[in-house]
Amino acid sequence: MAAHALQIEGLTVTARKGGRILLEVPSLEVAPGTSLGVRGPSGAGKSTLLYALAGLAPKMSGHVRWGAEDLCQMSASQRTAFRAQNIGMIFQDFLLFEELSAGANAALTAAFAPRQTRAALRDRAAAHLTDLGIAEPARHVDGFSGGERQRVAVARAIAAGAPILLADEPTASLQRAAADMLSADLVRHAGQHGQTLIVVSHDDGLLDRMDRVIDLRDGRVA
Amino acid sequence: MTPALAALATGPAAPWVFLALLVPIFGLGVVLMRGFAPGALIVAILRRYLWINLAYVGLIAVAIGIGLALIAQERGLRVGAAAAADKFDMVVTAPGSDVTAMLAAVYLQPADINLVDGAILDQLERDPRVRIAAPLGFGDSHRGAPIVGTTWEFVAHLAGPDFEVAPWSDPFSVIAGADAPAEIGDQFEPAHGVGTTAEEGVHGDILTVTARLPRTGSPWDRALLTPIEGVWLVHGLADGHAPERAGQLGPPFDPAFTPGTPAIIVTADSLGSAYGLQSQWDSRSDTMAFFPGAVLSRLYGVLGDIRQVMSILALVTQVLVAASVLLGLFILTRLFRRQLAMLGALGAPGRFVTAVVWGYAMALLTAGAVLGCALALVAVGAISDVIAARTQLIVPATLGWAEAHAVATFLLVASLVALVPARLLGGADVLSGLRS
Repeated sequence: MAAHALQIEGLTVTARKGGRILLEVPSLEVAPGTSLGVRGPSGAGKSTLLYALAGLAPKMSGHVRWGAEDLCQMSASQRTAFRAQNIGMIFQDFLLFEELSAGANAALTAAFAPRQTRAALRDRAAAHLTDLGIAEPARHVDGFSGGERQRVAVARAIAAGAPILLADEPTASLQRAAADMLSADLVRHAGQHGQTLIVVSHDDGLLDRMDRVIDLRDGRVA
Repeated sequence: MTPALAALATGPAAPWVFLALLVPIFGLGVVLMRGFAPGALIVAILRRYLWINLAYVGLIAVAIGIGLALIAQERGLRVGAAAAADKFDMVVTAPGSDVTAMLAAVYLQPADINLVDGAILDQLERDPRVRIAAPLGFGDSHRGAPIVGTTWEFVAHLAGPDFEVAPWSDPFSVIAGADAPAEIGDQFEPAHGVGTTAEEGVHGDILTVTARLPRTGSPWDRALLTPIEGVWLVHGLADGHAPERAGQLGPPFDPAFTPGTPAIIVTADSLGSAYGLQSQWDSRSDTMAFFPGAVLSRLYGVLGDIRQVMSILALVTQVLVAASVLLGLFILTRLFRRQLAMLGALGAPGRFVTAVVWGYAMALLTAGAVLGCALALVAVGAISDVIAARTQLIVPATLGWAEAHAVATFLLVASLVALVPARLLGGADVLSGLRS
């Protein structure tokens, strides 16, 4: 896994209908293996920026380069393949499958990974769960606390060995103590594995752990 | 159904047709799931709404079960009716409806039919091509079971080669059908008429049950068979024999002393003879001769169209139920929309999401189809029992290749219909899904 630098040039994201500009980022760079916090009021475009960095924004123009790869020049299927190999994502409300065990959730990407990589991916997922303090990977997540669920989601995001980790409000659904623990784990993991970590959050406790923090207001970097 | 289609449905090619219907489903599954392992997610979705999923399986099973049972039952009824008519090579009656005459003579259904003159019975008996010419006499009953007068030769013909019972000794002896409501040794006075209009105590003569007929799988199993002479005597008629031959049972009958008879069952010595006899006796103005098999065949020709309509209706019903279920699944899977979108965000191709939703739908459809077959097996057995109790026909209804083909066709059509919601969800915008 080689860390990817992020380089944005003239990025504009517009709404699918109506052509309204949702986000404009003339220039932004993030060094490989470092972390970036994105903060701002609700509606400022934080999540839109995160989804644009994952190639999920509907209408993007300009350049979003991860290393040598420019998401804006890729087709939808190429972006999907890029995400599978390079990006792990963490969501505010975990988005786990309640009917599956922690281990199965953490190794979820094995279901569509190449056959020859599945066993290694499952082993990594189990190791990450242990490292994140989930002692019973066979337990179904419907009995887990919010903090435990988010740690399973973190294990899922990093199990595939992606060099880029994108987190959308990862601590917003957690109580303070759990949020602090998750923040520490997230930053520690990204650092240990040399991942480029970009976090959208209102949580100062988490943002304080980032190498750099930018503010977004009305779709622009303040 | 054309002969070619019938051969495909039931002939040696039937297993291959079944496989040919299933192969596209497997092919579709392989195309969708190649390189993926969606099993755990399919199980997760099945478990999320377990009771709703079970209800869907139940709905599909009932739709399939009813359809299959109806088709199998209809076929079984045809086979059973044909088997019941097997021993009745040719029937000679007075002119009229051959269907009515067949129902009366073969299936012992009460009917008003004219009588054939006794002289005709005599002519038939004298014909060297005729092996058996058995007059039938109806009209009386005992505890709801018809009393049928005939000859011992015909009883032996009906019972089959292993029948080793001594012939009747007097005209009031009775041999009871396998399910007739009388035991050996029972004595009873026959009621005049059949059913609710039967009059008790008008004849005065007493009949005695002396033996029991083996099961024939026909309405004759409920009948009480007595010498035709007994039937005539009970009704105050001559007994078919001259006074100097009083007490004789069975042929030859003397035409001068033979009353009219509603039907004569004729067994010829060869197929060619049978056709010759039928042609001869059907061309007369005072008789009608027909092969029950041919009449049944004509009836089946009419019913065959109904069968096709029934089959199509059954399939349409099943597909409609499947479509309703798939619509429900589509709504259900939309509750998973965020999780499915999350898969896309993590790099799952749209084909993977399509495979998960399609696999989920196929799991329910296949479970419903298998359960439907089991239900149909139970239903077919139960309905056969009811029909047998009411008609004494042995209905050999069971699921065959035609039903297997119907289920495979259902699964094939449903697998294609299931592609629609699966593809819609697989191709849905990831960001919209995440934000839903």
